[in-house]
Amino acid sequence: MSVRRETLDLRKTDSDFVKRVAESGGEKILLCVQCGTCSGGCPAGRRTAYRTRQVIRRALTGLKDEVLSSQDIWLCSTCYTCLERCPRGINVTDVILILRNLAVQAGFMLKPHKDVSAYLLRTGHAVPIIDKYKALRKELKLPELPPTTHSYPEALDEVRRIANKTGFDKLIGFEG
Amino acid sequence: MGEESRVGVFVCECGGNISNGVDVEAVCKAAQGWKGVVVARNYSYMCSKPGLDMIQSMVKRHNLNRIVIAACTPRMHQVTFARAMKTLGLNPFLLEVVNLREQCSWSHSGEKEAATKKAVSLVRGGVERARSLEPLEASWLDVEQRFLVVGGGIAGITAALELANQGYPVYLVERDPSIGGHMAQFGKVFPTMDCAQCILTPRMVEVGRNPNIKLMTSTELVSVTGGPGKYHVKLFIKPRGVDPEKCTACGVCSKLCEVEVPNEFNMGLDKRKASYLMFPQSVPLVYTIDFNSCTKCGRCAEVCPRKAIDLEDKGKFVEVDVGAIVVATGYELIDLRKFEEYGYGVHKNVITALHLERLLSPFGPTGGYLRRPNDGGDVKKLAYVLCAGSRDLNRGIPYCSRVCCMYSIKQAQVIIDAFLDAQVTLFYIDIRSFGRGFEEFYKSAQEKGVKFVRGRVSEISESGEGCLLVRAEDTLLGVPVEDEFDLVVLCPALVPSPGTAELAEKLSISLGEDGFLMEKHPKLDPVNSLREAVFVGGCVLGPKDIRDSVSEALGAAAKGSTFVKAGKIELSAEKASVEKETCNGCGNCVNICPFGAITLADGKAVVDRLRCLGCGGCVPECKVSALVLHNSTDRQLFGLMRGILVEKADRPIILAFLDYDIAYNAADLIGLARIKYPANVLIVRVPTTARLGKKHILYAFAMGADGVFLGDAHKGAGPLSGASKITEKRLSEISEALDEGGIDSLRLWFSAVYIPDFRKLANTFSNFVSTIAEMGPIDEGARKKILEEIGPVP
Repeated sequence: MSVRRETLDLRKTDSDFVKRVAESGGEKILLCVQCGTCSGGCPAGRRTAYRTRQVIRRALTGLKDEVLSSQDIWLCSTCYTCLERCPRGINVTDVILILRNLAVQAGFMLKPHKDVSAYLLRTGHAVPIIDKYKALRKELKLPELPPTTHSYPEALDEVRRIANKTGFDKLIGFEG
Repeated sequence: MGEESRVGVFVCECGGNISNGVDVEAVCKAAQGWKGVVVARNYSYMCSKPGLDMIQSMVKRHNLNRIVIAACTPRMHQVTFARAMKTLGLNPFLLEVVNLREQCSWSHSGEKEAATKKAVSLVRGGVERARSLEPLEASWLDVEQRFLVVGGGIAGITAALELANQGYPVYLVERDPSIGGHMAQFGKVFPTMDCAQCILTPRMVEVGRNPNIKLMTSTELVSVTGGPGKYHVKLFIKPRGVDPEKCTACGVCSKLCEVEVPNEFNMGLDKRKASYLMFPQSVPLVYTIDFNSCTKCGRCAEVCPRKAIDLEDKGKFVEVDVGAIVVATGYELIDLRKFEEYGYGVHKNVITALHLERLLSPFGPTGGYLRRPNDGGDVKKLAYVLCAGSRDLNRGIPYCSRVCCMYSIKQAQVIIDAFLDAQVTLFYIDIRSFGRGFEEFYKSAQEKGVKFVRGRVSEISESGEGCLLVRAEDTLLGVPVEDEFDLVVLCPALVPSPGTAELAEKLSISLGEDGFLMEKHPKLDPVNSLREAVFVGGCVLGPKDIRDSVSEALGAAAKGSTFVKAGKIELSAEKASVEKETCNGCGNCVNICPFGAITLADGKAVVDRLRCLGCGGCVPECKVSALVLHNSTDRQLFGLMRGILVEKADRPIILAFLDYDIAYNAADLIGLARIKYPANVLIVRVPTTARLGKKHILYAFAMGADGVFLGDAHKGAGPLSGASKITEKRLSEISEALDEGGIDSLRLWFSAVYIPDFRKLANTFSNFVSTIAEMGPIDEGARKKILEEIGPVP
């Protein structure tokens, strides 16, 4: 995130945003004291510009678009170290996941995620089976195909119906 | 009751605290029409001078002889109003206080209509009780002119000296072999940089030689019986193997001793012998044999020039009577091993600030030279981790330790002053330098070059032989940072000293949610416990610095001497007594009394007024109604229930009988914390639930209650908690009677209450209301039948 060059007008921030995060299961972020334990021990933050504490701070300040449009929230590897150590008992990792959900709902989604999701709707799997694993399964005396859409292609239709009813297909631009 | 009762009802608005949640005018209007009520008035502050004047003029104008005050909890102002009654020439027991604040307006905010209905019911109950109140006279007990001070740290030392200098004999009890407490372990103290030993040692010596102080070290408190003015205390002097009268502290025993164990005083950084002196300035200056490690080889006893050693010492019990008690048992450090990312207990060079105090002490394990614990090497760079375990809702404790900002800043300066090339970095969340001279002290650390990094340390790992890699975020830069140090000092959270809960149980005083003792009022009665003549001070009330501990100790001593100086104490009139002519000498009451207060003499029961604590457990046992508990008579109790239930509050109606000491207090705390529960819960104050028999409970249901809740002291919570057992015993019999009468016995609920758990009580109320609501209404026929079975009540 770049350095701000002008004064932040707090009147223009979205004070309902933090409420929404709270209602979605992140109510403890209100207890944050910005100590930095999360970012100080974050393995992803050590190598990238991801600063957990700043994401939380921005959310608390109501910088909704800035939080949701930023790529930062997608850099978390969900290792849960921050959640284990947070002295305020905040479910930090869950909050990041909540923010991702809100971002997606607001239409902020990276192209790779859209592609993977499209794969899911096309095949029923984010990572469909390949020949190597078919062979391995056979060797282990398992059916060649797992009991998923691979074995039951008709279930794929149900997956797509869910995506359609929830509007997920539109979000990712899936067109069948 | 010769005279006709003329009741005045006075409803306090409490400046909106009550009137915002309860329609006080509606309450007055309802009261105007009740039998016996001559006048009903509301006013903004009933406890104020104009409020009391108004009551006075009403009493005169209307010739009132009973007063009902509907206001805050009786714990707050019952005494104020009782005093006002006395000046009017009315017996103070002709007063009834109804709780409309803590247990009504504050607990049901936003539900004014329901709260008002509840208020009307409660006030009507109060009026009915008031009509049958009887005048009572108190009796007096001589107060023992002696004190017990528990805890020999700076707070206990201060309190003991203060009382002794006022001329009172004091027993100062300390469980360690020497007094001094944690302060004796400190080097310098903030913000003045005095040497702790230089200011503490003279006080310790003074304790040792003051003729009014009987110093009892290596001693623990076993039990406390009796009451305010005359506490009977049993103490155990633990075996120390050395006769304090004979020992000259020559130290020969220790030199010869071959057993070596970690030295607790130096935080295990070096060893001590099984025969040892806690520290060179110990008071009393007497050696102690540590029987946990002693092999009883006997050589010390042989060589002792004064023959002071007795390896067969078994310790002894001592009993003393005192008028009042001061508790100053201090704090302990939290165990930081569970914070695995700090590596405390794994990495040798990760220590606590108390270890560092010992490392900097001239009589510490290194003679005051700062060395790395792993190899004795120099320390060039060290880091401080503030708030280790404090302000931690996850694995630590929620509160601030109040001292770690300042002592870390102190240690940093001591280190830089002594070792000019040392570099000190403080990792902090907030610097709280609130005291006099504290901010200036912070500034002087900045000037000396202490580095301040705003970020809580996230992890510490070993990065080489004894070197530690510390990771955090510099939150002001917004970047993760890491640095290498020779030594990392953790500033641990402060927790109650081990045994605080057991001590509180023995003394029948209360703990707060944080495990520290609770004061009577956090602002206005900071050094009184919730029990009369038990005073408290220092870190047993929560973390604080030396100055604040000393101030509280002085306060506790002052309050203590005020109490004892009065010479006499009023004995409650709320005790049981026997009508001799009626008593048939069956002995039921003798067997049930948890305090051994009733005996049989010449075939009649006799109550010992000193021992009787007024629980009321004996009254329902008496088949011939010879027993009476004053100020809680059957006539009063049934009247109260009738009054409450005749005004129909919102259904389901829950009558909650709470013991006054614990459960009622917890219900007040619920209101104070503004926690909500349904207004269907109507609270009735009883001395203990043991006062209630089958007849009372059945009557409540017969008269319209849909559920009855009994809340009483958890075992060990308060002097009267022994009475809960009686209630628990009666429950099955009462439940049977309910089931037989066609009322589901699940409508009767008993809960053991513990003051710190008041939130739980609020939850239990809410759950009980919904359970009863789901069960639906009680068949009116069943109520009628039960009423017939009970027969007439007073």
